[in-house]
Amino acid sequence: MSRREGSRQNYSELANGNDYDSDSENTSTFSDDNVDADLGDAYIPRANLTVASASRKRKAKTTVGEIKTHLQDDEFEEEALVDISLERPPDFVPDAVTKMFGASDFSYLKLKPDHASRPIWISPKDGRIILESFSPLAEQAQDFLVTIAEPISRPSHIHEYRITAYSLYAAVSVGLETDDIISVLSRLSKVPVAPSILNFIKSATISYGKVKLVLKHNRYFVESPQADILQMLLKDPIIGPLRISSETVTSDGLVETRAPHADDIEIAGVKHSETAKNGEKKETVEEKEVEDIFASVVGDKDDEDDDLDVVHSFEVSSDSVEIIKKRCQDIDYPVLEEYDCRNDTRNPDLNIDLKPSTQIRPYQEKSLSKMFGNGRARSGIIVLPCGAGKTLVGITAACTVKKSVIVLCTSSVSVMQWRQQFLQWCTIQPENVAVFTSENKEMFSCDAGLVVSTYSMVANTRNRSHDSQKVMDFLTSREWGLIILDEVHVVPAAMFRRVVTTIAAHAKLGLTATLVREDDKIGDLNFLIGPKLYEANWMDLAQKGHIANVQCAEVWCPMTAEFYQEYLNQTARKRMLLYIMNPTKFQACQFLIHYHEKRGDKIIVFSDNVYALQEYALKLGKPFIYGSTPQQERMNILQNFQYNDQVSTIFLSKVGDTSIDLPEATCLIQISSHYGSRRQEAQRLGRILRAKRRNDEGFNAFFYSLVSKDTQEMYYSTKRQAFLVDQGYAFKVITHLHGMENLPDLAYASARERRELLQEVLLKNEEAAGIEAGDDADNFVGRGNTDVSVKRAKSSASRNAGSLASLAGGEDMAYIQYSKNKNKDLKQHNSVIQKLYYKGKKK
Amino acid sequence: MSSAQFKSNVNEYLEGLPETVHSRLYRSPATCLAIYRLIPPMAKFYIMSMVFNEKPVLLRDLDKWIKPHGRRHQVESLKRIRALHIVKDEHNGLVLSLNPIFRTSFRNALTGGETNNAFGVACDTEDNHQVDLPFLDTYAANKWETILHYMVGTELNELPSDGVLQLLKHAGLMEGRAGAMSITKEGFQFLLQDVNAQIWTLLLQYLRVAESLQMDPVDVLNFIFMLGSLELGRDYSLSALSETQIKMLEDLRDYGLVYQRKSTSRRFYPTRLATTLTSESMAMKTPAAAMKEALKEEDAEPDKVNILSSTADGSVIIETNFKLYAYTTSPLLIAILNLFVHLKTRFANMICGQLTRESVRHALYNGITAEQIILFLENHAHPRMRRLGEEKLNKRLEFDRNNNIKPAAGAAMDEYRLEILPPTVVDQIKLWQLEMDRIQTWDGYCFSDFSNVQEFELLNAYAEEIGVLLWSDKNKKKFFITKEGRQQVVEYANRKLRKKR
Repeated sequence: MSRREGSRQNYSELANGNDYDSDSENTSTFSDDNVDADLGDAYIPRANLTVASASRKRKAKTTVGEIKTHLQDDEFEEEALVDISLERPPDFVPDAVTKMFGASDFSYLKLKPDHASRPIWISPKDGRIILESFSPLAEQAQDFLVTIAEPISRPSHIHEYRITAYSLYAAVSVGLETDDIISVLSRLSKVPVAPSILNFIKSATISYGKVKLVLKHNRYFVESPQADILQMLLKDPIIGPLRISSETVTSDGLVETRAPHADDIEIAGVKHSETAKNGEKKETVEEKEVEDIFASVVGDKDDEDDDLDVVHSFEVSSDSVEIIKKRCQDIDYPVLEEYDCRNDTRNPDLNIDLKPSTQIRPYQEKSLSKMFGNGRARSGIIVLPCGAGKTLVGITAACTVKKSVIVLCTSSVSVMQWRQQFLQWCTIQPENVAVFTSENKEMFSCDAGLVVSTYSMVANTRNRSHDSQKVMDFLTSREWGLIILDEVHVVPAAMFRRVVTTIAAHAKLGLTATLVREDDKIGDLNFLIGPKLYEANWMDLAQKGHIANVQCAEVWCPMTAEFYQEYLNQTARKRMLLYIMNPTKFQACQFLIHYHEKRGDKIIVFSDNVYALQEYALKLGKPFIYGSTPQQERMNILQNFQYNDQVSTIFLSKVGDTSIDLPEATCLIQISSHYGSRRQEAQRLGRILRAKRRNDEGFNAFFYSLVSKDTQEMYYSTKRQAFLVDQGYAFKVITHLHGMENLPDLAYASARERRELLQEVLLKNEEAAGIEAGDDADNFVGRGNTDVSVKRAKSSASRNAGSLASLAGGEDMAYIQYSKNKNKDLKQHNSVIQKLYYKGKKK
Repeated sequence: MSSAQFKSNVNEYLEGLPETVHSRLYRSPATCLAIYRLIPPMAKFYIMSMVFNEKPVLLRDLDKWIKPHGRRHQVESLKRIRALHIVKDEHNGLVLSLNPIFRTSFRNALTGGETNNAFGVACDTEDNHQVDLPFLDTYAANKWETILHYMVGTELNELPSDGVLQLLKHAGLMEGRAGAMSITKEGFQFLLQDVNAQIWTLLLQYLRVAESLQMDPVDVLNFIFMLGSLELGRDYSLSALSETQIKMLEDLRDYGLVYQRKSTSRRFYPTRLATTLTSESMAMKTPAAAMKEALKEEDAEPDKVNILSSTADGSVIIETNFKLYAYTTSPLLIAILNLFVHLKTRFANMICGQLTRESVRHALYNGITAEQIILFLENHAHPRMRRLGEEKLNKRLEFDRNNNIKPAAGAAMDEYRLEILPPTVVDQIKLWQLEMDRIQTWDGYCFSDFSNVQEFELLNAYAEEIGVLLWSDKNKKKFFITKEGRQQVVEYANRKLRKKR
C-alpha cells in the first residue's frame, strides 16, 4: 500500500486532479470510477516476468508456437519496460500536435522493433485495446481478447476492446491466470504494456477465481490452487467453523487432489478424438485448427507443471453453502461455482445425446469449450447473434451435462420452439420432455428429464392453480444439473433472483444476442448467472455465411407541412403519434412493400405503436399481429406468411421482437420503435439474420428504418443504431426513394387526404401514442396469463371536445368506412388457408 | 475538386485584368499556351478552329457545331474566352474574331516558329554541380513542407523566409506578428487543398503584392506561365530573363518552385512543383505523400528510427462506425486531420479519432467543404480500404455478370464506381453539409405576367437550356433565373417575341 501511496500523486496530477480513492479494497464494486482508481497506481514491473513465462511456454502448442516464431525475442522488451512509468518520461518532448490529444498522447511509448508483426496497441489510460484485424495474428488475438476484454466495436479493419474488471473476472473464471494474461498481452502488443494496465490486471485478478465451490460426489468442497488462501478462509470466524473434516487430510488440514484435466470432459458433438490422451490431443488440435490461443496457454500449464496442478480443498456441508458464498463475496474472494457433472452420482443421468446427424459449428463449439474448459461445467453467459444457433448451443450443453435440465424462455411460443428443437437435434425421448405453461402442466415421470417453461410461470408469486402448484413443488424439490436461461437480457434482476433461488441448479447457462440494456442492469447478471463466457463477432459470422448479410438503411421521410406545424405545437406524446403517422412515412412504407413484394421478398413491418400498426395494416390490407391477437389467429397468420404466396407481408408489434422464428423473412421495415433502445434494433435485425436464402450467392436481406425528418425520431434512430454500427453494420441514409411519386394507388397523395389523416390523428387521445404495454419481451409477465392490452387497444373510442361544425365535416373531418381487416379475410376467404386452418384444427 | 475550384481562381484573376494587359500578355507564346491549357474543352475547340483561319466566324455557325444539350457548355465557354479578350464580337455581335496578337503568339507556340526564348533558354554548358530528379523532388518537397509545417505550428529547425511569411499574412492564411503567427480559418482550408492549388493560391497572392511593389504583372505572369512549360530536370540560363524576373527567382526559390545553387548562380532548375503548374493531370503528389517521401529520406539515416511501415500513399482507415485510425507520425497530417476529426488517442505510430457531427460541422464552419474532406480521406486511404473496396466491386461485377443484370446506361459509371470509403460515411458527411445550408439564396430575376403559355414555355425552355433557370411554376407562369442569365434571356426574348409580332 505504501508503495502505491507514494507514486499515486504524480498521476493524479497528470489526469487533471481526478479524485482517486486510494483504498484499493473496494475493487469488488466494479464501478467505473474504481477502474480509474486502480489505474492510478503506479507499478514497477517484474522484469523477469515475461522471460520466465517465455521459457515455460517454450514447448507450447501450435498456436502459441506460431506467435513465438513471429515474436520470439523478448530481450529487448526488458529495456523498454524498465523505464516506463505512467508519467511521461522526462525526455518526452511534446510536439506541435500533442495538445490536441490532452492526456492521451502516448507517443512516448516506444514501439518494439518488430511491432509490425504484432497486432495490438493498449492505451495506458483507459485499458482500451486496438486490434488490427488484418494482422496475421489477428484471429488468435481476437480469441484471446474476447476472453479478457469487452468488445467495443468490431467493424472491418480495426477492432476495439476494453479491459474492465468484469471482463477480467470472466477471464479468470474460464481458467486464465494473471501471468498468462499479462504475458500474452505483452506478446501481442506493439508497445510495452503500461504499468498502469499491468497493475490493474493484477489487482483485478488477484482475488477472483481463486476460490471455487465444487460439488463432487454429492459433497461440497471449497477448492483453491493456493493453500494459503484456504488457510486464510479457515481462519475466518464465519467460514472456519463450517468445515467438515474428512478422511484424507494432509498436515495442514487440507485435502490435496489432482486438478481436473481440460479434456476430461467431452463436449457432445465435438469430434471424439479430442478425448484422446494429451499427446494425441496436440495433434488433433492441430488438425482441427482450433486456434484458441488462450486454451493452449492454459493447456501448456497442465502439460508441464504437473506439480502445480494440485488443488487444495476442504469440505463443507451443503447447508452452509449459502453462508459461505455470501461471506466470500464480502471478503472479496467471490467463489466460482463449478459443477463436476461427471462425478455427480447422486443425481440420475439423463439419457440424452446429440443425434449423429447434428453438426455444430466452430463458433458454437468454441463457446462451449469455454463453458466446459476444465472438465467441469461453469456458469456463465454466451452471447451469439440472433439466428446464429443459440438454441443448439443450449441443447449441446444439456447433452454434455447429461443431467436433468430446465429451460426457461420468454414466451409460450418459444417454449414450443425449444421443445421441438430438442426433439429435432438430440436423442431425448419425447416422454422425457415436459412443458410447463399455462396450458400444459404435465411432468416427466422418470428419474431425469427435461422441462421447458417460461420465466413468468416459474417466478409467479401470486396464487397458483392446484396443478401448477404441484408442478412448482416438483420443480423446487429436485436438483437440476443445468438451467438454461434464454434471452437473459430481458429479465429483470428481481425475477431472476427468484428463479435462480427457487430452482436448485448446479450450472447456469444464459443465452442472449445483445448484452446491452439502456438501464444499467446488465451488471447484475454477472453475479446472478456468471461472467460472459463468449461473445461472437457478427461480421465474422455473416462472412462465413452462418447468418445473413444485411443491407441496413435509414429512410428519411420529410414531414408534410401540415403535420410539422402541428408537431411543433403539440405535447411530447402527441408528437410521437404525429411523426409515426406522417403521410410521407406511410407512402415510403407502401412503396418499399410494393418494391420488395415484386422482388419476391417476404416482408415484416414492425411498429411499436398499436394504433399505427392497425392504421397501416388496415389501409394496406395486410394481416397484423399484436398483443391481443389470440394465439390461434397468430399461428394462422404466421403459417400463412411462411407457406402462402399471397401473404408476403405481415405487420408485427413488439410481440415479434424476439423469439419468433421466421426464416422466410428477408426484408424488414420498421415504422415505429421504442425510443433509443439499441437492443430492440438488434433483436429486430435478428429476425432476418436466419433467412433461409442467406447462402444464395449475392443474397442480401434488407432492413429499413423509416424516420420522420426533423423530429425526435432522428435522434433516437442514431442512438438505436449504435450497437449494430459497432458490430460493423453500416446504415445507409436514403433521403429520397426514387419513383415513389409514380407508385399507383399511392396513399395520401392528395392534400385533402392528408388533412383528413391529420384530423383523425389529432382526435386520438394521448393514450394511442403510447407503446403497447404488457405483452412484450421486456416485461412479459402478462404473456402466459391474460391479455392485458386487449382493453387498451379496443378503447380507441375516446371523448374529445369538438365543435358541432367539425363533427358535421366542417373542418376537414370526414366519416370514413374503415378498411376491412385482412386478418379475418385470411380466415374466411382464402380456400388454401381454410384447408390449412382446418387441417391444423383436426389435429 | 479543390484544384478545379482553384483553377477558377486563376481564371478569375486573369479575367479581371484589363484588355491592355491581356494584349501584352499574349505577346508571349508560352503564356498563350498556358492560358489555352486553363480554359474549358469547348473553348479550346473554338480556338483551335479559329487559329489558322483568318476570317471571323459567324456566331450562327458556332451554334450549329453544338448539339442542343451542350448549349450550356457553349455559353460558358464563350463567356470565358470573351472575358479573356481572346475573341471579340464584331458587327453588332454577329461575328466572332480571334485576337490577332493571341493568334500570332499561339501559332508560334504551336509551330515553334519565330521567337526563340519564349520557353526559356536552356544552358548550353555543362553544369559542374549537376543535380538529378530525385534531388529536385526532395528539394521541392522540403521547401514546400517547411511552409506547411510552419503553418500548422510544427517546431522547425529552419523557418521559411520573411518573404514567404509576409505572403502568408497577406493572403490571410496566417495572422499575428512575425514570430508569433497563427493560422486562420482560410489557412486551414488552404491546407486541405492539393499542392497545385496551394501553389496557385500563393502565386496569385504574389501577383497582387507584386503590383503594389511596382513590378510589372505581365512580366510576373509571363514568367510563371513560362515555368509551367519548362522541362523538368534541365537547367536554364538566367540570360533571357528580365530584371523583374530575376528578382522573382529568389522568391520562387523559397517556395521550392525552382532550384538555384547559389543566388549568384547563372542557371536554375525548375522543380516538379513548377512544371506541373498549368498541367491538367494530377501529377503532383498530395502534401502528405510528398512529406512521407521526405521522411523516408530521413529514415535512411540509421540512428533515427522512424516508423512508416505502411505504404507511402495512404495511412488513414475510416470505419463504418465513423472511427478513424491513421498510421502516421507526421504532425502535419495530424494537424490536418484535427480540422475535421475529433482526435482521441495517439500512439507512437498511430492516432485514433472519431468523425462526429460536431467535428465535421466545425470544419464546415471553417469553410472546408464536405467534398474536400471526402477527397482528402480518399487520397489518404489505407491500402486495406482500397482493397476492400475493390473486392466488393469485383464481387458485384461478377454477380451482376452471372445474373445478367445490366445497369441502366446512364447509371453505368455511377453504379460501378470504386468505393474506397464506406459509402455511409461519405453520405453522412455530405448530409452534414446539407444540414448547414438548408436555406439557399440567390440573386436573380423573376419573370412573370406572360401573355400566354407559349411565351412562358419558350423562355422557360431557353433559360433551362442555358442553365440559368432556378425555379419555375407552370401554373402561375412564373420563373426565376440567376442574375447572370438575365441579359441573355432578355435578348432572346426580344429576338423571339419581336419576330412573332
